[in-house]
Amino acid sequence: MSALRMPRVATMQLKPLKTKGWGRIAFMVVISVLMLVPMYLLVVSAFKSQQDILTHPFSLSPDQLTTEYLRKAATNPDFNILKGYAVTILFVVSVNVLSVALAGPVSYVIARRSERRYRMLLLLFVAGTFIPSQVLVIPVVYTLKFLGLMGTIPGFVLFETTLTLPFSIFLYAGYIMTIPASLDEAAAVDGAGKHRVFWSIVFPLMKPAVVTMVILNTFSVWNDFVNPQIILGPGSGLYTVTTGVYAAVSQYSTDYTVVFPTLLLAVAPLLVVFVLLQKHVISGLTAGATKG
Amino acid sequence: MVGPALVLFVVMLVVPVGLSIYLSLTDWDGYSANPAFIGLKNYVSLTHSAEAIRAGWVTLLIAAVGTVLLSVLGLGFALLVNGASRLNAFFRIVLFYPHVLSALVVGFLWSAVLGTSGVVNGWLTSKGSAVLPFLSDPKWALASLIAVLVWAGFGVNVVLYLAGLQTVPKDLLEAARIDGASKQQTFFNVTLPALAPVVTVNLVLSLVTLLKTYDLVVSLTGGGPAGSTQTAAYLILWDSFHNNALGFGSAQSVVLMVITAGLALTVARLRARADQGVQA
Repeated sequence: MSALRMPRVATMQLKPLKTKGWGRIAFMVVISVLMLVPMYLLVVSAFKSQQDILTHPFSLSPDQLTTEYLRKAATNPDFNILKGYAVTILFVVSVNVLSVALAGPVSYVIARRSERRYRMLLLLFVAGTFIPSQVLVIPVVYTLKFLGLMGTIPGFVLFETTLTLPFSIFLYAGYIMTIPASLDEAAAVDGAGKHRVFWSIVFPLMKPAVVTMVILNTFSVWNDFVNPQIILGPGSGLYTVTTGVYAAVSQYSTDYTVVFPTLLLAVAPLLVVFVLLQKHVISGLTAGATKG
Repeated sequence: MVGPALVLFVVMLVVPVGLSIYLSLTDWDGYSANPAFIGLKNYVSLTHSAEAIRAGWVTLLIAAVGTVLLSVLGLGFALLVNGASRLNAFFRIVLFYPHVLSALVVGFLWSAVLGTSGVVNGWLTSKGSAVLPFLSDPKWALASLIAVLVWAGFGVNVVLYLAGLQTVPKDLLEAARIDGASKQQTFFNVTLPALAPVVTVNLVLSLVTLLKTYDLVVSLTGGGPAGSTQTAAYLILWDSFHNNALGFGSAQSVVLMVITAGLALTVARLRARADQGVQA
């Protein structure tokens, strides 16, 4: 009997589902094309002449394609992209290391102490998420000038690290609260100091939260424009990928043989990271979006 | 263990915010040695400044229209790509990827696509059609700016709603199906109420993010044509560093900070209420 019923049930359920499913997929394919068209234009235009970009923007015939402009962009005297990568990676690594080194211990203390003043401390840090960084950077210029750090790498790294603290501390403190305190109490009984307990017992267990923050900070430092532009300024000769793109592209914004190859070089590393680690990146950036 | 982080936070965030508030009460130009204390004068001139008022309205319009579009598209597409198939995973990546790009790059890319001598208009010209004023007409430029913000940002809303959809109780959906509820009935009576906290978070987060719009303005429109796409953050930085009106710029900063903080606090409160709702 079941042998008789099976196919009939299957066809009855499949038929409406199938047509509906195809409509949805067709629609999503159209939307995906719309989402990807700018990226397609960016990639193919990086290999074409101005004339071909404007008259045949979508075509991909091999005789139009050349790596000439990409090579020119890579050796642009206005903006050395390799140096831009190096400077940006240096910033990304420094901010990440410093951010974990500072936010980790303070989050540990906040998570393990129940006194009112530690609750207030957490509130103070979290209040920092309310301050838009584009606006904060203006008075920070004068604070950095006072400290003699304006226009310097340490000045920029310290400010950029500060911007990561509110959400890092919020996330880490919340995460540490889920780690049983009995673990670190046992270590403390064995005579390990506070720092030792944190770095050797608690920190290794915080890996998921740290990975989220590292992804978030990596993307926000790599993509930041206003802070490096203002703190490092054109005078310092230090260009990140974004401020370099601004320097290289804004003067020649209608010379597309400069614009497209430069933009492609700027986004390529991040897109590769995204494609390779997309699951982590999406969950990390989504956690970040909720920081408001 | 608290010291280093707290010192850095105070020096780089608390002190500068205090400095902003102080400067907003002065006529400082950014370099003179003795700024004069002028009380609330900057705040009064803010209410008379046609430029600041326009930037305020432009920012609010971007925030309001953008938030509605981000939330509607976010939820709509989350429902469309909610399945566990590989194809849906691909669609999710495609919807999300622009968020990975810097807003500056997104703006330059779209200005090369939509500009007067850009790819689309170049192609239209070669076909013998008239050029479209995507970025050269004030109304078109503002619409283009919002469209690009939405293109670049709604993937995040999709992912947030997807996370929310996983929390809709499966037994309720099953019960509705058994009771013979239609898809629309199930959506409006089961799914949407269960998503209420996520909807709130999406709305207010989008609003807070859009109120800060800056990088995209720099690279897509440069604030133009004729200042029609200048946002609050854009005007603040312009007044502070190009017009040397640090005091006036600081007053605008303080107003923006208060509005942003007000909205962020609203997020926190609504989130707290939503969390209680989930636990109840």
